[in-house]
Amino acid sequence: MNNKILRLSLVLFAICAVVAGVLGVINALTAPVIDAQKQAKTAAAFASVLKADRFEQIEFSNPDFPTVQTVHKAEGVGYVVTSVFSGAQGNITLAVGVDNDNRCTGISVIEHSETSGLGANAASTGEVGVNFRAQFVGQDESIALANAGGSIDALTGATITSRAITEAVATSIRAVKSLA
Amino acid sequence: MNPKKQFTEGLITNNPVLVQQIGMCATMAITTTLFNGIGMGLSVLIILTCCNVVISAIRKFIPSEIRLAIFVVVIAGFVTIVDMLLQAFVPALSEALGVFIPLIVVNCIIIGRAEAFCQKNTVKDSFFDGIFQGIGYTCVLILMCVIRELLGAGRFGGGLIDVANGFRFTLDGTGAGIQIFPESYGASIMSLPFGGFLTLGFLIAAMQYTLKKSADRKAAKAEQEKEAEK
Repeated sequence: MNNKILRLSLVLFAICAVVAGVLGVINALTAPVIDAQKQAKTAAAFASVLKADRFEQIEFSNPDFPTVQTVHKAEGVGYVVTSVFSGAQGNITLAVGVDNDNRCTGISVIEHSETSGLGANAASTGEVGVNFRAQFVGQDESIALANAGGSIDALTGATITSRAITEAVATSIRAVKSLA
Repeated sequence: MNPKKQFTEGLITNNPVLVQQIGMCATMAITTTLFNGIGMGLSVLIILTCCNVVISAIRKFIPSEIRLAIFVVVIAGFVTIVDMLLQAFVPALSEALGVFIPLIVVNCIIIGRAEAFCQKNTVKDSFFDGIFQGIGYTCVLILMCVIRELLGAGRFGGGLIDVANGFRFTLDGTGAGIQIFPESYGASIMSLPFGGFLTLGFLIAAMQYTLKKSADRKAAKAEQEKEAEK
């Protein structure tokens, strides 16, 4: 009986060891490529929200802004704030450009898992997505959805994704204000 | 076992989704654009074929008490490899399919084929089984994508076909697809999970109807021949 348990464990262990070894090799090969992809994506997102040549990360750890992840400063132009917050389906990572007058210069969704065809349009390159994101340009911290008295038209009737993004933009602007 | 018979089984008479009714969760969730459907179908095809080959190759060493644990380890290994490769080389697809790539681990097509087929058959038969079941799965996904994308967004080939810059295929998911009628006229309910249930339900019904018809016809023919012999 004991022998049998030992034999079963050994077989399972051997197979796990082989699989783990193969995965290690593949991971070593793909990890640098994946990292480069992520960096290129973040750089593209930054460039699309604020027109600047250089972004320099600055220290930001204010407990009043738990969703804010990083703040990058573009000398003389403004700031880019990235934040992570809940959308309708999962976390959304958003980059928000803020100029020196504390107005939004553009937004870009870096990562999300919103509903395809509805909330996911916030990140789409199609007409709906481009128009949605364009509404945020020039807004200040009092930004709100149309159904809450503001001027942002929501993507869908349920407004979960749209509200989360609108709030995140307002938070990002406030975070930049708190720096001054 | 001959590959030709396995081909008809995978595609029609024993189709994984429409007849065996396995692997339905991802089928309903991701079939919103043609790009997703083809990507998911091919990922499953590759993983299924690799797992089938490996599992049938080691089937004599697998103690039956722990076979499920071993299947899961092998499947998880291949899924993780495909996941990493997609993230590195086809990031748009990896983003569009999201959690459904890792979830192939628990997709019952793969463990179902391992349990029902590979542990009893040779490597060669298992290889063809993987290819043809994978093709059967991919075909259903493509069919569902075409139906849902057309009714939901009025589009064909979203993510895959780019008409704005001359007619060409895009592999990075940026193509806007061919707009057949304006997107706002589409019933967006078809792109929600509900539309997935609806489409799949109708497809399964149509498939069962066709299979039953052909079985009935065969039975009637056999009956006639019997009568004639008398």
